[in-house]
Amino acid sequence: MARARRFLPIYGLLLPGMLLYATWAAYPLISSFLLSFSEWNLTKPTVFIGLDNYVRALGDPFFWRALSSTVGYTIVTVVGQLILGLGAALLLNQRIPGRSVLRLIYYLPVVTSWVIVSLVFLYLYNGQAGALNWLLRDVLGVIDKNVAWLAEPSTALWAIAVLGIWKGIGWTMVVFLAGLQSVPDELYEAASMDGAGSWARFRHITVPFLRATSTFLLVVLTIGGFNAFISIFVMSSSATGTVGGPLNSTDVVLTYMWKQAFTQIDLGYGAALSFLLAGAIAAISVVELRLARRQAST
Amino acid sequence: MKLPALRRAIAALAAAPLVLSACLGTAVTPAPTTAPPASDAPAPSPVISGTVTFWNGYAADGDEIKTFTEVVLPAFQKLYPNVTVNHQEIPYDDLRTKLVTGLAGGTLPDVLRADIIWVPEFADQEALLALDEDMPDFDQIAGQVFAGPLSTNKWKDHYYGLPLDTNTRIMFYSKKVFQQAGIAEPPKTIEEFEAAMAKVRDTLGEDHYGYAEGGTGPWNVLPWIWSFGGGITNDDLTTATGFVNGPATVAAVTKLKDWLDKGYLSSSILGGGVATSEQFGKDQAATILEGPWMPGIFKNQFPDLDFGYATVPAGPGGTQSVVGGENIVVFRQTQNKEAALAFTRFMLSEEAQLAMGKVGQMPVLKSLAGNPELPDYYPTFQEQLKTANARTPVPAWPKIDEAVSNAVLKALRGDAPIQAALDEAATQIDALLKGN
Repeated sequence: MARARRFLPIYGLLLPGMLLYATWAAYPLISSFLLSFSEWNLTKPTVFIGLDNYVRALGDPFFWRALSSTVGYTIVTVVGQLILGLGAALLLNQRIPGRSVLRLIYYLPVVTSWVIVSLVFLYLYNGQAGALNWLLRDVLGVIDKNVAWLAEPSTALWAIAVLGIWKGIGWTMVVFLAGLQSVPDELYEAASMDGAGSWARFRHITVPFLRATSTFLLVVLTIGGFNAFISIFVMSSSATGTVGGPLNSTDVVLTYMWKQAFTQIDLGYGAALSFLLAGAIAAISVVELRLARRQAST
Repeated sequence: MKLPALRRAIAALAAAPLVLSACLGTAVTPAPTTAPPASDAPAPSPVISGTVTFWNGYAADGDEIKTFTEVVLPAFQKLYPNVTVNHQEIPYDDLRTKLVTGLAGGTLPDVLRADIIWVPEFADQEALLALDEDMPDFDQIAGQVFAGPLSTNKWKDHYYGLPLDTNTRIMFYSKKVFQQAGIAEPPKTIEEFEAAMAKVRDTLGEDHYGYAEGGTGPWNVLPWIWSFGGGITNDDLTTATGFVNGPATVAAVTKLKDWLDKGYLSSSILGGGVATSEQFGKDQAATILEGPWMPGIFKNQFPDLDFGYATVPAGPGGTQSVVGGENIVVFRQTQNKEAALAFTRFMLSEEAQLAMGKVGQMPVLKSLAGNPELPDYYPTFQEQLKTANARTPVPAWPKIDEAVSNAVLKALRGDAPIQAALDEAATQIDALLKGN
């Protein structure tokens, strides 16, 4: 009785949040899970078809292509953000003048809307009047013909990945900075006295201290890479008129899923693709965490 | 983008019922309990009441929304004081996404201004009212509109809508660039067109193009394919082999590639470049193919632009272009059929058609042809409409569109020989047509 009286107010306070969660997260999740086992028709009754949508996905070459583009995009953006974010964090961890202003500037892209930065990069990458072509051709002279970065199947996805890296550096930097600040200064001082150079100090003090931070970043950035959508959607459709264009070279799982659901009106298949993606993300996250743990224990 | 994107995507797929029914509340007013008006009465009536939800894609960058809300709606309201029109000007690019979400959640508008190419798809899903059955005066109204736009409402044995506005693409030419390049008359044939483009290139240099196009999709390239005598399928819509990869279509694509390689045609056709309207507005492109909504936009964006209109240059197939436009359709689930039909009827009245016609929505009523109150550039469009064709009206159209677009892009890029690229499209489209 006393127990109930103690917990009742707590549950009472949790209830509104739980209700919102049930309505906006749990219910859609469950219904799209059910949807993924159905052939969904606009007005005709929905038919249960078991695993057919999943089987179809596994035999769909466009799905595999989208998945491999997703993996490529994720590897490039995760590695890019980790290296550049760590570099920025190391530099801005020094006592240099204007440090706070620089930290703010690096962080600005993080809080800017995806749609807006996508539109800005569309202009930078324009094949006929873009700033990047101007820089490379007219200023530096390293190319002799303008490149339509977003319309070339070989460059489009990587041009979008550059945006993903640029936008993520600031956030990665802030997390690394927090990690760096947990390293006691005495350790560096002691190492210096023992004659350790800056590389040795970095390798043997900084890196081990950043291990937990790096693991966290690796997992979160990987999930982010797998979920890239807005930038690819906005840039590919504006530059080529087709989501995932040119010639499906920027199709990732989410854009392919979106097209199945909204262009082809095949919602059951779209739902199945979304659960395959969720499964892939979960599997990769587990592997990443395991690897990190094993490294930590050796 | 972190987790929210996935969540949003899933939510879009599955939460639609909840979200939309909560926010939109389509036609909550119950159907009128009074007797419906006599079947032969297109006349106004205060008896009809209720709410009609109308989704349209009227453009915000011209005067379409303004005219619709300030002229057309008040006129309707005067005739039907007890009908509330809940109108939503959804940006055209988002309209389809919103419709699919609505279809999934059962929260659709009552009346939709639909791209003509969507009608077979939605009709095939039994989402639309067959107006020739449900609208008592359908035949009478159908007799007043142009046959071409009307035909885009037909799927199998019934008409699922009425034409609302029509358009096609014609050639806009820059008088200034033509003068600089020494071109006296707008080209009438493909040979003259090619000669004009060569002049632009030779006199004005490599940053000037004879012609700019914004992509390789059917909407972009069909005027050329048809003018060369080619096409996508046979008339019965049963096969693409021999048409989309036939000699005339191959000749058209070969010509486009030739123009692109020579620098006559702007590389914007491959994507990733400057918008064609901007190239034209800044005198970098001598010609573009555009629709009747464009003069209004140019008037705001490039007020000093001096340009003229001509039909698409004629080839072995004559001067051909692609029919666009919108139909007005009523969804089967409407709670307010009488009010929805009254609104549909009103949108086809001379009053509404003329008002929207003044701002670039070409009327479909025969009685308004040549009306002096309409813009002076309509005659060229009307001339072109006589020989303009509709895109393949089948439910699988979105996939056919992508197949053509990719094949022409591969061919123009030189990724594949032209014949091989189009052969691949033919195989894909044949399979899609079989699925209908």
